[in-house]
Amino acid sequence: MGRPVAILGSGQTVHGRRFDVSYPELVKEAVDAVFETTGISPADIDGVVFGTMPSMMEGVALTHFYFADVLRSVGKPILKTETCGSTGVSLAITGYYWIASGMADLVLVVGSEKMHEGDAQATMTTVLEPFYQRFFISGAPGVFSMQSQGWTVRFGIPEDKIRAAATKLSIDHHHDAFDNPYAHIKKRLTEDEVNNARIITYPVRLWDVCPTSDGACAMLFASEKAAKKLGKKVAWVKGVGYSGDEYWFGDSDKAEWQCAISASRQAYEMAGIKNPRKELDVAEVYNPFTFQELLFYECFGFCGFGEACDLTLKGVFGRDGELPISPSGGVLCTNPIGATGLNRVAEAALQVTGQAGAHQIPGAKTSLAHAMGGVVQFNGVMILGSEK
Amino acid sequence: MADRVGIVEVAMTPGAESKDNFLDQVFRTSKELLDKAGISRDEVGTVVSASSDVFHGGVSCASSYYWDAGAAFLKNASRQDGESLFAFIYAVMRILSGNYSTAMVLGVCKGSENPANDMLTHFFTDPFYQRQIGLNETVAAALQKREYMTKYRITEEQCAAVVVKNLGNALKNPYAHVKKRVSVEDVLASEMVMEPLRKMECAPKSEGMIAMLLAREDVAVKLTDKPVWFKGYGSSMDHFYLGDRDLLNGQLGTAAAKAYEMAGITNPKKEIHVAEICEPYSFQELLWCEDLGFCDRGKGGKLIESGATGPGGKIPVNPSGGVLAHNPYVTRGLYRLAEGFLQVRGQAGERQLGRKVTTALAHGTHGFAGQCHAVVIIGK
Repeated sequence: MGRPVAILGSGQTVHGRRFDVSYPELVKEAVDAVFETTGISPADIDGVVFGTMPSMMEGVALTHFYFADVLRSVGKPILKTETCGSTGVSLAITGYYWIASGMADLVLVVGSEKMHEGDAQATMTTVLEPFYQRFFISGAPGVFSMQSQGWTVRFGIPEDKIRAAATKLSIDHHHDAFDNPYAHIKKRLTEDEVNNARIITYPVRLWDVCPTSDGACAMLFASEKAAKKLGKKVAWVKGVGYSGDEYWFGDSDKAEWQCAISASRQAYEMAGIKNPRKELDVAEVYNPFTFQELLFYECFGFCGFGEACDLTLKGVFGRDGELPISPSGGVLCTNPIGATGLNRVAEAALQVTGQAGAHQIPGAKTSLAHAMGGVVQFNGVMILGSEK
Repeated sequence: MADRVGIVEVAMTPGAESKDNFLDQVFRTSKELLDKAGISRDEVGTVVSASSDVFHGGVSCASSYYWDAGAAFLKNASRQDGESLFAFIYAVMRILSGNYSTAMVLGVCKGSENPANDMLTHFFTDPFYQRQIGLNETVAAALQKREYMTKYRITEEQCAAVVVKNLGNALKNPYAHVKKRVSVEDVLASEMVMEPLRKMECAPKSEGMIAMLLAREDVAVKLTDKPVWFKGYGSSMDHFYLGDRDLLNGQLGTAAAKAYEMAGITNPKKEIHVAEICEPYSFQELLWCEDLGFCDRGKGGKLIESGATGPGGKIPVNPSGGVLAHNPYVTRGLYRLAEGFLQVRGQAGERQLGRKVTTALAHGTHGFAGQCHAVVIIGK
């Protein structure tokens, strides 16, 4: 493998409906924050990795031009990595390879989205080609609901059990978000409120779905040399994995989801992880939909297939459980698409460096960050550790 | 760097509109590459593609559409937006990281399935200040050309000579889109598109699917007896607003300096044997030649007049015909590199240069008046 790669720090914006700033100002907020947190000067970076949702959701194409100045990229090389919803983790992976290749010592990695300046569901519908699929899959909830239904049927999970597990996740995550100063939706919900919320696409109800958020995230990836120079506690990249399956929705098995299984196994193998539930201390799973979060537990090997609901109801994946999932409140509470995956990596890095504040998992040494994208097509995973 | 990365093989489609289905084109190009290199898809370590949603026929998240057609099914793969040389260097990084011994680079752009380039480049503008005035890549280039002509007394004839040379060179390139024998008079008689730019001085809109196989040194020498080695890379970004920039002294000099340093090149005029430059507008070839150190500042016009950049000259530029002859927006940088690869290998067919070619330069640019540049050096 290549040279060790460290994460020096991160900067997240406050997420929400950010009509107080323009889109470039929003990106600047995250970039300024990471330089301030780490004390590193923009002049010292060797290059910039940037990405958003690939389509021009905010009405500007090839946004690395528009943000060239706020990204502090003038006079420097840039890479523009974009892989739909999984962009955030793909950005982090790009930062990893750039440093690991030996071609740079310090790289700024930034993801952003200002979703209230566009129509996210309209855009996501156009990920589907115009001839066969676009007519009957409306936005993200349509495909994720189909995936959930397929999974429920495959493993014969009773409807009330899956509802109960999803409700628990919704209540817990919306509550967790109070501890995350950057989170968008923070709410104390009751079981009745979640169970009786209006249906978005059956079986997904309102509180099973993420919001659309404005936000940006910036991180600094560095070589061992640059990390030592900083002289502070840093997170180390232990493993990366990424995988994608067929474009056509019907061609692949979305319950025992091959690319989710493969992305996580690539990362585990690189990090030397054999039993993820035991060896991971915390995981930031990309959970825009409660039902899908349950499916990821199984694909990532946190439990066997068909077991996620029971274990969730037992509290195995809660804040005080064996493997706490998304203590930040996760994507369910905050979803600025191009930044969302990078937020997961930022949170995973905060956890292993003991800087997660009110939602710190005590003693966390190994963490997982994940992002998913496409018409349920892509998964990216990164494992971080407190030691090199 | 511990290891060397070699280019093993390349496959590409011609630039004219093809009636072939998009996914068929991607599949065939990928398949042709692997067949030529004599390896199976399973043996490819990683795939990095380049594409842009706006240059993608109305399907968002471009890479999801061609993911499996482009050999990336269940692979650790990624995608770059805007500039295909970004995909090349990212694939190089992946190999240098020690995680992969082979990487496929894929560039995807089916020009015939999306709107005019200027309509699309118009969306690079910010929505508040620039969009209302109709700014696009051609408008920005026109401003740049006017400044270039005024400041350095570059003549219309010198700019037209680039078109004459490149479209003439393209006659020998089976992959080029526009190819013809034209005169300076023909160019100057063509319609004024955006003063002072005439129609023939602006690149067409083309198709271009291209795939390239890279490998770590030990694997490259097993796959081919003619690997061409990656030697250097430099890229640099300029300010967004045109008013904040010096359009005649942009970031190409910075990008080139980095690439030369990495490749150990101190005298580009002598050490670069062929340059494939991204010139969507005639005069840009002259200006970029200055930035690359092929002549002094302001002397780009004299350089082409001297014949030095012709196929028989001291520093041949765009023997393929360049971007004026073939402009698949996103993949045009990778096409430049492919030509450099074929020239170094001595496999450029009728357009093979008569001189010895051991080192080639490929350049890609995208954005207004060259907001972003990338330079790759390859050689024996």
